[in-house]
Amino acid sequence: MPIEKSDLLQGTLDMLILKIVALGPVHGYGISQRIRQISKEVLKVQQGSLYPALHRLEKRGWLEAEWGESENGREAKFYKLSAKGRKQLQSEESNWERLAQAVTQIMQMAQ
Amino acid sequence: MSWWNSLFGKKARDPLLDSELRFHIEELTNANIAAGMPPAEARRQAVLEFGGREQIKEELRDVYRVPIVESAPAHLKSAFRFIRKSPSFSIAVILTLALGIGANSAVFSAIDAILLRPLPFPNGDELMAISQFNPKIQSPTIFVAPVRLEDWNRMNSTFQAITGYFADDSTETSGALPEKITMAFVAPRFLQVWGIGPALGRNFSHEEEQLGGPPVVLISDRYWRQRFAASSDVLGKKLRVAGAASEIVGVMPASFRFPVRDVDVWSPVQLGGPYTLERTDTWYRTIGRLKPGATVAQAEANLSTVQAQLGRAFPQTDADLAVDVQPLKKPTVTGARKSLWVLFGSVSLLLLIACTNIVALLLARATQRHHEISVRFSLGATRGAVMAQLLTETFVLALCGAALGLMVAGGAASVFRSLAADLPRVDEIRLDWRIVLYSLACSVAATLLCGLVPALRGAGSGVSGALAQASRTQVSARNRLQFLLVAVQVALAVTLLAGAGLLLRSLQAVGRVSPGFDSSHILTMHISGSWGETADMPGLIHRVDRTIDFLGATPGVESAATTAALPGVPGKYQTELRFLEGENDPERKVVVESRFVSPGYFRTMKIPLLSGELCREDAKSTNMMVNRSFADTFLGGGDAGGRHLQTVGVSFALQGQIQGIVGDAREQGLSREPTPTVYWCMSAPLPDPFYLVRTHNNPLTMTHTLRARIHEIEPSRSVFDIAPLDQHLDDALSENRLRTVLLTFFAATAVSLACIGLYGTLTYSLGLRRREVGLRLALGASRGKILKRFLLEGLGVSFLGCVAGSALAAASARTLAGMLYGVSPSDPATLSAVVLLVLIVAAAASLVPAIRAARVEPMKVLREE
Repeated sequence: MPIEKSDLLQGTLDMLILKIVALGPVHGYGISQRIRQISKEVLKVQQGSLYPALHRLEKRGWLEAEWGESENGREAKFYKLSAKGRKQLQSEESNWERLAQAVTQIMQMAQ
Repeated sequence: MSWWNSLFGKKARDPLLDSELRFHIEELTNANIAAGMPPAEARRQAVLEFGGREQIKEELRDVYRVPIVESAPAHLKSAFRFIRKSPSFSIAVILTLALGIGANSAVFSAIDAILLRPLPFPNGDELMAISQFNPKIQSPTIFVAPVRLEDWNRMNSTFQAITGYFADDSTETSGALPEKITMAFVAPRFLQVWGIGPALGRNFSHEEEQLGGPPVVLISDRYWRQRFAASSDVLGKKLRVAGAASEIVGVMPASFRFPVRDVDVWSPVQLGGPYTLERTDTWYRTIGRLKPGATVAQAEANLSTVQAQLGRAFPQTDADLAVDVQPLKKPTVTGARKSLWVLFGSVSLLLLIACTNIVALLLARATQRHHEISVRFSLGATRGAVMAQLLTETFVLALCGAALGLMVAGGAASVFRSLAADLPRVDEIRLDWRIVLYSLACSVAATLLCGLVPALRGAGSGVSGALAQASRTQVSARNRLQFLLVAVQVALAVTLLAGAGLLLRSLQAVGRVSPGFDSSHILTMHISGSWGETADMPGLIHRVDRTIDFLGATPGVESAATTAALPGVPGKYQTELRFLEGENDPERKVVVESRFVSPGYFRTMKIPLLSGELCREDAKSTNMMVNRSFADTFLGGGDAGGRHLQTVGVSFALQGQIQGIVGDAREQGLSREPTPTVYWCMSAPLPDPFYLVRTHNNPLTMTHTLRARIHEIEPSRSVFDIAPLDQHLDDALSENRLRTVLLTFFAATAVSLACIGLYGTLTYSLGLRRREVGLRLALGASRGKILKRFLLEGLGVSFLGCVAGSALAAASARTLAGMLYGVSPSDPATLSAVVLLVLIVAAAASLVPAIRAARVEPMKVLREE
């Protein structure tokens, strides 16, 4: 069953976006596709969450945006990671790891 | 600028958002087609999957919104609703601010016109007043000889041009009756230096400024309107001035009124004429226009070098002279500067009091609105939003206050003009955009001063305790802050009142002073005369003496005299003298006040003769009188008769014999102690001295008689500036009086504001503590005790304010030091009177709430809950 945004932890979507964009410049459609593919259809991001998140990250200076040509030759807005965004991603990643470990430990103990 | 983008970036951003989203839908459609759907179905599915496009767009727009800017209209609307809902509160705040901001803007408008704005000439800051002086003596011989002025103009490298002028009264005789006109005689390049051209006609030509050129004049706008009814064919008409017919070549603009406000005619002094060649002449007040970029110091250094060269070329006349260069604005406004800053300081204190008062009002108000604010919080308003809301309310109130205040400021110019017409540049005071901007700045400052604390407190209460109504039973720190504010107001009011008290007392002291002469029943006047007459000194003296005798013989007149300067009207003319007999002590120079009077002066002014005899005017030698201070200082109090004195360092050496000693008189101003003074007995030291006439009855009733008498013997001369001496003495105090009146007014306002603050705070505190009071009464406290409690609370806080205010007053009184007379800045009597007055008023203000507190009905209050 796919997990939609409301089920994601707050801030997780931002981290996922940063991670995807870190792989190389990509447009909004590409991000939603990759999240789906990589998570094997488990995570499905609604456009209604994706785009506000993208613009928020751009405004904060973590993403940089540029209009360019897509694979099939159409105008699309490409996002890429800024230096500030890279730092943010690192700290979010390490936070996430600690959180995930902690949660896992608790869950295992409860079993 | 994010707020700019927030408001105006929307239009540019929207299509971009649109195409970004459209791209996504198209990619989805393509994916669906690739999966085998027919195009129409593929697109329908894509749109479905994408979801509400408009909704997403709106969310994207939200990302870019800056909340405060976009919600400003809403805040404004709600602020107006708030003001309408509580009119009495709003009116109180608006009026308080109108007073504070209005007074502030009014004084600022005067400061702006008089001190800050450059002189009303193009690049007015380039204009310099230049004077010569002899550093070895104090005597100010600042006037410059025409030849030297031309030398300066030719040899300097820092001035665009240097020119000079002197004003003289003259008589114009081309009309039916001789008419007195004020003439300005000007050196070449006069208008070039000012940077102003005639409104009509042309400037003087080069030939007209040289010897032998045709006689021409420029006339003032005022004279043009009055004499020629502003007719445009005035050019080419002739005026008969001082016997010569001069052609009018131009009319100056109305704003150009230099060197004196009532100037009628400008006439060039032709270069190379017989009078313009003497290097010892003292003619011109000199001004120059700096070259762009040149500084005052450079100019002074440059001119000093030039003068040093002249000193080598003309050792007799120029070696001792030095040059002084000052911005023209400085000497123009020097006197008024201190008064204005004192006034500005006091209105700033007043505004501060007004703001403090409003803070207290707003705080009280915020308590009442606690409920409303809590509701806002619980509906999800952020702290910032609530603060913005509260500040907007205050700002709207402050803006209304500033608008009203501007009207006050607009009216102030006429008040300044009527109270102190002698203030320099007073006719330049007016309301313009600078004053509007200033008022606006005041209202922003007032908003921050008044609004910040209440807004922080209001917004700070947060959701905690939201809707929990606690205020009624709480006696919290909130209250203490308000009493602190009252104390601050009282302290500031005491400071202002102490300043006003000191000024009032010195004004009184000046009024009580015995000047050493009797100014009542003296009429003063001028009779036109021109400097040209000084070529024939015996004739001039004869003419003036004859007029004096004629005036003195008029029925109703006791005696008449002339003087170069009015007694008691501030002015100084110091010269250095030396005794011809005996040794002069080089360590103790005889630098004394010199006054030039006719022999009848002492009888007319009722200055007593102490020893020796009164001087007589003698064609062969000059006689002089000295006052008692002079005798005590330089003659050891002994007999003076027969000793001779001579001026030192002045080109035309005056010499005279002391005839006797007269009593000390406050010649240099009523508030100045008499200094050693020499009276030179010369009835005509200048062509139009002041005539002093002592009359038996009210001097004003004699005006017409005297005019007619003079017309009998001097049909071609005009009589002008007829006024009682008392009026001159009064006018000399006008600036003094203006600042006293204004400061007293501000202080009275400050005290009333402080009392309103005290009253309001006590009333408010009573509102909070009604239950407590009711309980006390129910438990057996006497009403008298409650009354005392509230009264003491009010008096206690006022007393604290008075103590702080006294300290503040003592510290700030030093700024008044130069303006006080007969009272010390730390005068304990004034200060204690002020404190007593404030305490009495404070007690009165506390009494009403205290009585109200004592009348609380315990049963009613306790049942309310």
